[in-house]
Amino acid sequence: MTLKSLLLASGALLTGTAASAGGYQVTLAGQKNNGMGGVGVGLSLDQAAMFYNPGALTMVKDRGVQVGVNATMARQAFRSQYGGAQRELKNNIVTPFNLYAGFGSEDRKFAAGIAVYTPFGNKVEYADGWEGRYSLTGIDLKSIYVQPTVSYAVTDKLSVGAGMVILAYGAVNLQRDIPVEGAAGSGPAHVELDGKATTKLGFNAGIYFKPTEKLSIGASYRSKIDAKVEGGDVKFTNVPTSLGSRFTATEFDATLPLPATTSLGIGFMPNENLTLGFDVNYVEWSKYKILQFDFRGNNGAGGLVSPSGQVGGSNISTSRREYEDAVTLRLGGQYLLTSGLTVRAGASYDFSPVKDGFVTPETPDADRIGLTLGASYKFGNFGVDVSGQFIDLKKRTQTEADLVANNTADRVAGTYKTRVLIPGIGLNYTF
Amino acid sequence: MYTLLKRTAPALALLGLGLAGCQPELDAPGADKGSADFSRYIAVGNSLTAGYGDNGLYLEGQLASYPNLLAEQFKTVGGGDFAQPLFNQPNQENGSGYLRLTGFTATGNPITANVTTNLAVRAITPQALYTRYDAPVNNLGVPGIKLADIQTPGYGSQVGNAYFERITPAANPLQTYFQRVKAEAATATFFTCWLGNNDVLGYATAGGALGPTAITRTDTFQLKANRIINVLTANGAKGVVATIPNVTNVPFFTTVRVAAIKATFKASNQALSLYIQTSAGVREATDADLLTLTSSSVIGTATSGNPFPVGAGISPTAANPLPSQFVLDASEQTLVRDATTAYNTALTAKANEKGLAVFDANAFFARIAATGIVSDAVNNTAAFISGNLFSLDGVHPTPRGYAVIANEMISAINSKYGSSLSQVNPNNYRGVRFP
Repeated sequence: MTLKSLLLASGALLTGTAASAGGYQVTLAGQKNNGMGGVGVGLSLDQAAMFYNPGALTMVKDRGVQVGVNATMARQAFRSQYGGAQRELKNNIVTPFNLYAGFGSEDRKFAAGIAVYTPFGNKVEYADGWEGRYSLTGIDLKSIYVQPTVSYAVTDKLSVGAGMVILAYGAVNLQRDIPVEGAAGSGPAHVELDGKATTKLGFNAGIYFKPTEKLSIGASYRSKIDAKVEGGDVKFTNVPTSLGSRFTATEFDATLPLPATTSLGIGFMPNENLTLGFDVNYVEWSKYKILQFDFRGNNGAGGLVSPSGQVGGSNISTSRREYEDAVTLRLGGQYLLTSGLTVRAGASYDFSPVKDGFVTPETPDADRIGLTLGASYKFGNFGVDVSGQFIDLKKRTQTEADLVANNTADRVAGTYKTRVLIPGIGLNYTF
Repeated sequence: MYTLLKRTAPALALLGLGLAGCQPELDAPGADKGSADFSRYIAVGNSLTAGYGDNGLYLEGQLASYPNLLAEQFKTVGGGDFAQPLFNQPNQENGSGYLRLTGFTATGNPITANVTTNLAVRAITPQALYTRYDAPVNNLGVPGIKLADIQTPGYGSQVGNAYFERITPAANPLQTYFQRVKAEAATATFFTCWLGNNDVLGYATAGGALGPTAITRTDTFQLKANRIINVLTANGAKGVVATIPNVTNVPFFTTVRVAAIKATFKASNQALSLYIQTSAGVREATDADLLTLTSSSVIGTATSGNPFPVGAGISPTAANPLPSQFVLDASEQTLVRDATTAYNTALTAKANEKGLAVFDANAFFARIAATGIVSDAVNNTAAFISGNLFSLDGVHPTPRGYAVIANEMISAINSKYGSSLSQVNPNNYRGVRFP
C-alpha cells in the first residue's frame, strides 16, 4: 500500500473535534494509550511508541501493524450574555485515526517503522442563527502527520529514536456570517474560507531508559510545524450588491502554529501483570499569538475600480489569541487479567492554553478532566483494543465587558460548557 | 471474540449511558422583578418612543421600539400585554412612508428614496392624516411632540399632530397629551418617560435658522417636566426618566465635514474654501461648525447668477455662502448644548426627587459617539449607514439602535429596583438595510 493510497483510503477518517486535548490538539494516537489517560512516553506498549516516544520503539516486544480509530462526539451548551435559549452544537462525529507499522532487527538493536496520526484537528459546527454567528458558524481543521521513524538501542537499558514528521495533509474550512443586512427575507451574508496547507517537515525524537524490570523513564519532543495555507479560497454568499466593493477577495493566506510538545513519562511495573504510567506534556501554545488572514484577488463584485482583496472593507483580518504554554498531567494503568484480556483505566487533567476573556467559538476551551477506560483481547497474533474517554471541560464565562477590555471583542459573550465522549477501537497484528 | 464481548459489555454499556448523559445543560438566567411592578407599563415620549426611524414611522420600526422590547422582557417577570398603535392594517405597513437606501454614488455617497406605497394615509387635508387606532394603547410615543406641547388643547386634532390625532378619542379632539397621560397613568404600575428631545432638536436640525425662540425656555421645560412626572407617579407607579442626548453627536451633524468639503473645493481650485451664512454675516467655515446631513445635496450645486457653486468662495464678499439652515455654527451649538444641559438638570432633579431610575441618554450617546458599542463580534458605532445604530435620517436609531437603548434602560431599571431582567440581543435587530 503506497502512502498516497493510504491517505486516500483514510480520507473519510479525519481528525478530532472540539479537540480531545487543550486548544486544537488531539491526543488519541494509540488505542491502548487512550484507555490509560493518554500516558505512553515512559512506556513501550506497542507501535504507537513512534508517536509517544520514538526512543521506546526498540523496546517494543513485537514487530507489528496496528490501526485505530476513534469517534469523537462533543456535546456543548452555550448561553449568551443576552439570555435566550440554550444553544447546542450540531452533532458531528469525527474520527481521528492512527496507523502504525513497525519492525525490529533480530538482535533488537534497531527498529524502524512508519506512523500516520492526527495530532491536531478541530471540528465545531454551531446551530443556525446562534449568537456567535458573526464570529464563527463552523470550523473544520484537519491535519495528518506521517512519520518515518528509526530507533536504536544504545544498551539493553537505554534506547533512542527519532522520526521525520511530515505534515502530509492539512486543511481548514472556516465559516461565519457577515454582519450586514440585505433585503428583508434574504439569508444572512456569509463568508467561507477554505484552504489546504502546504507540506511541511518537523521531527519527533525521544529517549527511553529502563534501569530495572520495574521502572522505565522516557522523554520526547515533537517539534512545531507552522501549517501554512497559501491561496485558499474565499467565497461570499448573500452579500448585498451595493456592498460588493467591500467584499472583493478571492484568496487568503494564513498560518496556524501546530506547537511543539515536550513530554516526560515514567512507567512502573510492580509485577508482570500490572503497568502504571505517569506523563507530563508541555505544549508550547504561546507561539499562537494571533490568527491572521491576508486577503487578495478581486471577484469583480465592486466593479472594475474597486480595491482588491477586501473582506468587509479590509484586506487583512487579525484576531488575538495570546495562548499560554500549557501542561497536561496523565495517569493510567493496565492489568493483565487473563492470558488474553487486559483492562485499562486512567485519568488526565489538561490546563487550558486559552486565557480568560480569550475564548473563541472555534476552540471553546477550558481546563478539562479526562477519565478513560480500555481493554484489549488477544487471540494469537491478532489483538483488539477498545477504549473510551470521557472529557469534561469546566464551565467558562466571558462577558462583553471582558472582551472589550481584552481587545477580543471579535468573539461572543456568554457561557460555554462542553463534554466530549470518545469511544475508540483498534486492531493489531503482531509477528 | 465472544469472551471479548462479554468482558467489555459493561464498559460499552457505560459508554452508551455516558453519551446519553453527555449533553451539558446550563441553567437559564433567573429573572426577578425586584421592587418594581411591571403588570401595566406605559411609555410616554416622542418619536424615539414610537419607534420612528428612516424619517418615518412604519410597522417594522414600531415593532422594534424600545418600549416594545422592554415590554417583552417585562413579560418574563409578570409584565402584561403591551399595545402599540401599530400600522397593522392590510397594505398599510409603511405607515407614514420612510427613506430606504437604494445604493451609493461612484464617490460612495448614499442614495436614498422615499417609500410611497402601502402607506396608512387616510386623508391629505387639512394635512396628511393616518389611519386611526382607537383601541387602547400602552405606547404613547408621539413623533414630533415637545414637552412644551403637552398641555396644548387641539394638539390631537386634525390640525394638530397627526400621530397624536390618530390615537386621540374622536369624541374629544381637544384632549391634551397631558390629559391623556393622566388618564393612562391612573392604572399604570410602571412607566418610561423620554420627552424633551424636540424642545431643542428642531432648532438644531434647522441649523439654528429658526432663531433662539425655537428652543423651549428652560423654565417652561422644567414646569412641564415636573407636571408630567408628578402625574405619572401620582398613583405610586415606578419608572424610568431618560435624559436628552446632545444632538450634535448624531450622524445628522457628524457625517458631512467642513474639512472634507474644503478639501473637495481645493482639489478643483486651490483658492476656494467653504463659506457659510451665519447670523453675524458670511464667514469662512471652521472645523467647529457642523454641517447638516441635508447640506450634502446642495453643496457644490450651481446657482444662476453666481459664479461660485453653493458653499464655495474665495472671501466673505466673493462667495456663494451655504445658507444658514444647513449649518449649526459654533455659537448655535452653544445654545443647543446649554439648553440640553439645563433640561437634563431639570429632568434628573425631578426623577431623583421621586426616586425614579434615570437613563442618562446624554452620557450614553456621548459614549456611543466616542467608542461605539460591541455586540457579539459586531462593532456598532455612531457612523452614518455603516455604524448600524442610526437610521437613514441621521437622527433616529435603527432597530439595532433601539435595542441597545432598551438594554441601557434595563440596566438602569435593574440597578434602581433590584430586578434581574435579561437584556435583549442587539444582533437580533437590524442596522441599515443594504440593497
